[in-house]
Amino acid sequence: MIATAVGNYPKIPTPPGEPKLRRAIARFERGEISEEDLRRVEDEVTEEVLAEEVKAGLDLLTDGQIRWEDGQTYFARRLDGFSIDGLIRYFDTNTYYRQPVVEGRIRWREPIGLRDYKFAQTRGERPVKPVITGPYTLARLSQNPGEQSFADLVMDLAAALNQEALSLEEADPPWIQFDEPAILRHKEDFPLFAEAMEALTSGLKPKTSLYTWFGDIEGIYPQLFSLPFDLFGLDLVRGRKSLELIEEVPEGKGLGLGIVDARNTKLEEERDLVDLIKRMARLVPPEGLHINPSCGLEYLPREIAYQKLVLVAKATRRAEEVIK
Amino acid sequence: MILPTTTVGSFPKPTYLLKARSRYARGELGKEDLLALERRATQEVIRLQEEVGLDILVDGEMYRGDMVTFFAENMEGFRISGLVRSYGNRYYRKPIVVGRVKRSKPITISYFSFAQGLTSKPVKGMLTGPYTMAEWSFNEYYGSKEELVLDLAQAIRVEAVELERVGAKWIQIDEPAVSTRPEEIDLAIKALGVVTADLQVKTVTHICYGEFERIYPKLLELPVDQIDLEMANSNYDLLELFRRHRFTKEIGLGVIDVHNHLIETKEEVKRGIKRALEVLSPQQITVDPDCGLKTRTWEESKAKLQVMVEATREVREELAGA
Repeated sequence: MIATAVGNYPKIPTPPGEPKLRRAIARFERGEISEEDLRRVEDEVTEEVLAEEVKAGLDLLTDGQIRWEDGQTYFARRLDGFSIDGLIRYFDTNTYYRQPVVEGRIRWREPIGLRDYKFAQTRGERPVKPVITGPYTLARLSQNPGEQSFADLVMDLAAALNQEALSLEEADPPWIQFDEPAILRHKEDFPLFAEAMEALTSGLKPKTSLYTWFGDIEGIYPQLFSLPFDLFGLDLVRGRKSLELIEEVPEGKGLGLGIVDARNTKLEEERDLVDLIKRMARLVPPEGLHINPSCGLEYLPREIAYQKLVLVAKATRRAEEVIK
Repeated sequence: MILPTTTVGSFPKPTYLLKARSRYARGELGKEDLLALERRATQEVIRLQEEVGLDILVDGEMYRGDMVTFFAENMEGFRISGLVRSYGNRYYRKPIVVGRVKRSKPITISYFSFAQGLTSKPVKGMLTGPYTMAEWSFNEYYGSKEELVLDLAQAIRVEAVELERVGAKWIQIDEPAVSTRPEEIDLAIKALGVVTADLQVKTVTHICYGEFERIYPKLLELPVDQIDLEMANSNYDLLELFRRHRFTKEIGLGVIDVHNHLIETKEEVKRGIKRALEVLSPQQITVDPDCGLKTRTWEESKAKLQVMVEATREVREELAGA
């Protein structure tokens, strides 16, 4: 079993910890430091996050997305065809992102995450997975005021992000993770989604995972598991219903179990987590299970986020022993 | 008068206040000094609204950081957590429920009274609703969300009754989280009912756009006189829903997009109000921006409100002449 994270991680510590990155961004915006200075702070904080993940006991790391303002603009700003508009709420959370606006045909221009991924890979003491926001979610969370249909936009994005994923192969990642939370809110779009996922993963050699959160998979189970990914990440906190639903997982497919609530500070009982893992281990062999928080940890204060990762790792190790 | 004008609540904080707030947070400025600057800013906000010619005023929320944290800091049962990012480089301290929630002292009363003392126009009492308070806090104490929401409703009810007692003629209880989780609207309705049960004055709730199709017409069961909605931001799409199922309450009609720094034209706003009048009666409508103005600059806020007031006045005149 693999203990892992889903994506983002709090960028600054709780006071009196030093909010290095927050301060650097503010100073950069006031023109007091150069872009290079800001990049150096981002690098430093990324190193700290990678070290925290290792210390917590994770087997597979993310870079904490310290450089991402959010999951949408990190990609939209570097693809052709987008402009960036005002703030809008991210799903049902109390956090906001700047909404991308489709201005023209979407095209991939150059590697977006490669430099950041290589950095994390060389600094992390354990394997690191790169994360890409999926085409369906990126389309859903953008404005599309023009003539182009939503389906065409999704497919253009799928082609562009497929190129992005292919560009990461140069760094030989063990996994590439794609995030598609939006499909849980628009299950009626599954046929389009499935077509986009084919295009997204076309020709990719590394193992791939598809992560969802903030809901269950009722209505798209079991079709979801026939999509061309090696592993499916599920939010079993806000999508607890998926637990009852899943009776079978196709051979060779894995699950990412989001069993620690990344949106509440209350710490789970390790025993309950182990029970959940044991239950799902009846459907998937241990090597096919990733254990992780329910979504990215940036909804929590830094020290709680760390404790949640410690819980993930402890529960994973304990479950391994019990199952053996 | 038909088509009164108002705003949703927040105004941008002047630079001197933002600076003072961070100095206060670092312990470099005393509470009294901060309060004096909050009052100065409140005076400026009231003056701006009078100059623009709004009918129902707000205090501008100069004393609030976040709409949930402010109330949590002033109630029992909450602890304020470490920093959580809300967007960009902005962070706030999200509350954690760690015990039984209670209102043990006045929360907004002195701010309301100060603002109302500055003007002869009505100033709205501004509260955050129980459902939103619960939804936007961490919960480490209550076994069920319903218990938490209903205890919050009791606490906010006490504050609302007190606002009415000290002279508030309008009380707004914001519930922006309601539209983000349609499956829990019954709980939000029940809780808001607790807050408004004993109030005689005009009650309003502000709801954000969210998954509106899924909560309408159910939304009309929210026990308030007026529901304040974003319209401009969504190109008045909601009017189609109202065409299919009549909107039976008063409406706060958001005609100004607060997320865009471009200033609307008077014609644009008039067109919006007139479109609304196709499915709503003039007596039902209060005109306001989509949401709080705190993310706009002072100048943008003023310019947008001027356009809004002028457009409303012209529509009023046209209706009177017709």
